[in-house]
Amino acid sequence: MRATLRWAHSDLRTHRGEALFITLATAGIVASLLLAAALFGYATNPWQRVFTQAHGAHVWIHTAASADAGRLARLDGVDSVAGPYRTESATVSAHGTRASVELRGTPRLPSVDRPLLTAGHWLDPAEPDGVVLESSLARALLAEPGDTLTLPGTARSLTVEGIADSAEPRYSPGEQPGLVWALPSAVRAPGGQVTGLRLADPADTDYAVQRAVTVLGAGAVGEVSTWQQARAEAQGENRLLGQVLGLFGLGALAAAGFAVHGAIGTRIRGHLRDISVLKAIGFTPGQVVRIFLLQHLAYAALGAVAAAALTEALGGRVPGRIGDAVDVWQGLPGHSVTLVAVSVGAVLFIGLTTGLAAWRAGRVPPVPVPRPSAAAGGRLTGLARGALGLRLPAALVLGCHKAFAGRGRSLAGVARLALPLLLIVVALSAWTTIDRFHSSPEQVGLPAALTVRSDGGMSDPDVRALLAADSRVADAYPGVEVAALVPGQTGTIALRGLGTRTRPYPYTLAEGRAARGPDEAVAGQGLLDLLHVRVGDWVRMTVGEQPQILHIVGRSIEPQNAGRVVTTSLDTLRENDPRVSPAFYQLRLRPGADPQRVAAALTTAGHGHLDVHAVPNPADGLSPLRAVVTGLIAVLALIGLVELLTTIGGSVREGERDVLALRAIGMSPRQITMITVTSTSCTALAAAVAGTAMGLPLAHRLIDAQGSSNGIGAGIARSPSPGLLLLLGASAVLGAATLAALPAARAARRRLADTLSAVA
Amino acid sequence: MRLPLLALLARGPAHGYELKQDLELLLGSAYPQPNVGQIYVTLGRLEKSGLIEGEDVEQSSRPNKKVYHLTDAGREALHAWFEETEDEPRVRDEFFMKLALAPQTGLAEQIALINKQRRQYLNTMRNLSKLAAAENRDNRIAHLLIEGAMLHLQADLDWLERCQEELEELE
Amino acid sequence: MLRAEGLVKTHYGEGAPAHAVRGVDLSVARGEFVAITGPSGAGKSTLLHLLGGLQRPDEGSIWLDGERTDSYSEARWAVERRKAIGIVFQFFNLVSNLSVADNVELPALLAGVPPKRARAEREALLAELGLTGKERSMPGELSGGEQQRVALARALVNHPPLLLADEPAGSLDSKGTREVMRLLSRFHGRGQTIVLVTHDARLASAADRVISFFDGRIADDAALDGTPSRKPGTSGVLELRD
Repeated sequence: MRATLRWAHSDLRTHRGEALFITLATAGIVASLLLAAALFGYATNPWQRVFTQAHGAHVWIHTAASADAGRLARLDGVDSVAGPYRTESATVSAHGTRASVELRGTPRLPSVDRPLLTAGHWLDPAEPDGVVLESSLARALLAEPGDTLTLPGTARSLTVEGIADSAEPRYSPGEQPGLVWALPSAVRAPGGQVTGLRLADPADTDYAVQRAVTVLGAGAVGEVSTWQQARAEAQGENRLLGQVLGLFGLGALAAAGFAVHGAIGTRIRGHLRDISVLKAIGFTPGQVVRIFLLQHLAYAALGAVAAAALTEALGGRVPGRIGDAVDVWQGLPGHSVTLVAVSVGAVLFIGLTTGLAAWRAGRVPPVPVPRPSAAAGGRLTGLARGALGLRLPAALVLGCHKAFAGRGRSLAGVARLALPLLLIVVALSAWTTIDRFHSSPEQVGLPAALTVRSDGGMSDPDVRALLAADSRVADAYPGVEVAALVPGQTGTIALRGLGTRTRPYPYTLAEGRAARGPDEAVAGQGLLDLLHVRVGDWVRMTVGEQPQILHIVGRSIEPQNAGRVVTTSLDTLRENDPRVSPAFYQLRLRPGADPQRVAAALTTAGHGHLDVHAVPNPADGLSPLRAVVTGLIAVLALIGLVELLTTIGGSVREGERDVLALRAIGMSPRQITMITVTSTSCTALAAAVAGTAMGLPLAHRLIDAQGSSNGIGAGIARSPSPGLLLLLGASAVLGAATLAALPAARAARRRLADTLSAVA
Repeated sequence: MRLPLLALLARGPAHGYELKQDLELLLGSAYPQPNVGQIYVTLGRLEKSGLIEGEDVEQSSRPNKKVYHLTDAGREALHAWFEETEDEPRVRDEFFMKLALAPQTGLAEQIALINKQRRQYLNTMRNLSKLAAAENRDNRIAHLLIEGAMLHLQADLDWLERCQEELEELE
Repeated sequence: MLRAEGLVKTHYGEGAPAHAVRGVDLSVARGEFVAITGPSGAGKSTLLHLLGGLQRPDEGSIWLDGERTDSYSEARWAVERRKAIGIVFQFFNLVSNLSVADNVELPALLAGVPPKRARAEREALLAELGLTGKERSMPGELSGGEQQRVALARALVNHPPLLLADEPAGSLDSKGTREVMRLLSRFHGRGQTIVLVTHDARLASAADRVISFFDGRIADDAALDGTPSRKPGTSGVLELRD
């Protein structure tokens, strides 16, 4: 064992760079996998925790104020009921920020779906105007216990008594109103009721909704939200982030495994003689294998431990979502198990690939002979000969020949280098896609930048005139959104009517065509998945009491509501229900207009009657993704570097034996250096081309798959610009050439007494 | 023997016993050690050819010794000796004749002959090694002579291998 | 202490198979110095490799100190080579990225010798071979002769009963050859059993026994006694004719 250590120690001294890179690469991979685990943990567990602690309700049903919601308590399968509570829709404002909220009159602290207080205290009958805010609403308004909320347009004001967590869908400006618990006396003009059902069997949700709707009558039911929707929405971006990190982490792990395998294989090829001598001295084949195995396992383990330690110590300090996720994760049960499992798993994987390569070392015969000339290599192809005949620089031709002559080995080298490049291309595609969300939102389903709602104080023509008056508004599309019951009445979806026949809404279509005729609609991917329909199918849904039959002619890219939206024109909805009038306007701005400024101008012009929100951009929540992608590109670049160094080392070593012969032919040391540099550059070029060629379609497929599963829909994927790809390829080739230059030059200039000692 | 003695006399007159001592000193353990008598006989022949001239010197209590010196003719002979190059037949061993003729006589087997000769050479080599080890390190001439003999022996042994290879092929 | 019977080894490469060793019987007594000579390509090195377990014989058996070794696995042979057999090759004897000291100590450490004792052995051997001061050098910095001396030290650090040497002076000049010969004789004088493969007659003549190897078979097995067959008083080097 001591002998093994002695050899390993001295081997480390000669290969310091490689050891360092492997350690760093393993550290990066393990860190990314750990962060992915953290994000996954954070994604599911907090909501789960809140739901369990609060005895969350599985179904929330919004009904009309006149409905007999008390009957829901006696439904089959319903364990207990929260409410029914009277609700009022209102707009509150605090610190200059406005939010539309639902005031819920709760006389007592509910037993089902009990709000979990995080600050302040619950409602006090002594304070009639006290309210408790839900935590996401409080964050958006920057409100704390003791703050005052005003209701614009009225003289009312409310005082914040406390802030609480809830398992219901969170506040999302423009999409989901915030939740405010108030005393029933504060709910002055109740517009509806809401009842929460806690079921005996959570899997029975669909059936329970069905029964509830039947009991209440379809006309009485407004919107239905289930616990699965709440959970998906809470997990939302964290899930995506976690998936990205996990995917890339695993991809990088595979790339690292290959890189290590290649590195060891090349090292063994260069050390054949040493290994033979070791065996002749008395190392058993098993011991030889073990030397390499333990060495690299040690590097990998060092990297893994460092990454785990760093993540534990500094992970919480990472700004933004990732830091929060790590903090929460560290408090969850199973945290240490995951930490250990991920680190050990990564190390074991690297150990596996190492073992496969090292096993070959064990099979080296114990008789030290001059290294057999590389089986790679072949006769100069006709192409090469022709090129030489054309007086192309001999160094270039020989270099290219050297790069591609040894079929199997050079192919393997190119493949191993192409893998990290492929992953980098995928990462760049992800980055570009996210960028598109910000730079050209109209291509990814967000043609309108602002939503304008009137609180009723202004008439519709007045609103339209005001909007037309602002020169920065290119178009204002009227719209209305209702909740419609899906066929089977197991849930509700959002049915939107946007634009009119004269002014159709500019959908971003991924499939099919725009909805032009009567009863035509486009749907998001989420809806198609939910209803199990395809483009071209007819769908029947119930709006209030009325059935609405729509022909789905296209699939739009729908970033809102997890894609469970079907959009048709306002006229179609009016045909069914003439009372339908625009509830909001979607504004498309002229290019170059700043949405914030326009929003402020319109709010002022509306004298407080207008509520202007920016349309939420799903990419906003994904800003940590950029940092993640950068980090991943760094790790992948490191792995690519290891692989490059391996290729260069092997190439230089193989070239050493030819130096004398080449000098005899009459090539100067510079030309000899050029041969190695050219061959390495050729390999890098081939790898870059292969990586790009395979990476682009793969990226498209992955991003579209992610989009589909998210409900946004396939079709959002964007490739990086050709300039960026060219930059990547050029830096790979130049980097390879630069790294190869020094060792090749050194090898070419070394004074060799004879080829045998070169082989030695 | 003749010309080496002439060369020794070129340094200055000397008598027979001195010449023997000079030779021994020069050649060290490579000295073939002929007896003194052969030297005197050679000196006599040289005198007869007129290449050297002798003078008697009287000694008390001992017989007269003859001191020789070089003549002009002798000097010229020396010149000529140094001028000409040596061209002798390389293979002077009777061994090869034995080898070539063995099959014809049917009295000896070729491989056995080769083996015996090889043993002889190896033993000789061993002795030469011992000689070289025993020799005074500063006597370069002697060492060179011994090494020359060894190298020739090596060549002979290599040649034996070649012979064996060729003969084995014929079988 | 070393006995082989009926060893056969054939190399299969491109072209016709080469019968390197064809039915060789050999026995070496303890303390003997045996030299194996023969033209190149005759299979001498292969025979040595078979005796040292570096290659497996196709047929035949080998006994080392009474133990039958030809059926040993590669791992078992490796263990054997640590303590019982020392091997010196013509080239590539040393591990290129270990210092001289490490190279010499490696077999000792492998055999389980405590590091202090290994170090002491190494120092003694290097001093004996005239290499003190080179402990930290890398093999690449040494001359051919020095490398071979280090190789010899490495082979002998565990005082193995058997030393196998394959053309140890093959890549050296005459001065180096003389060095090797002197060292081998010295160790032989202390009782080391040596089997030497060489084509240098001077080296071979230092042995007690010379085996001539031809075409895979033993052609002659001669014990050297060094008795001159000429008249006493002449050295046989020079002849001064009239």
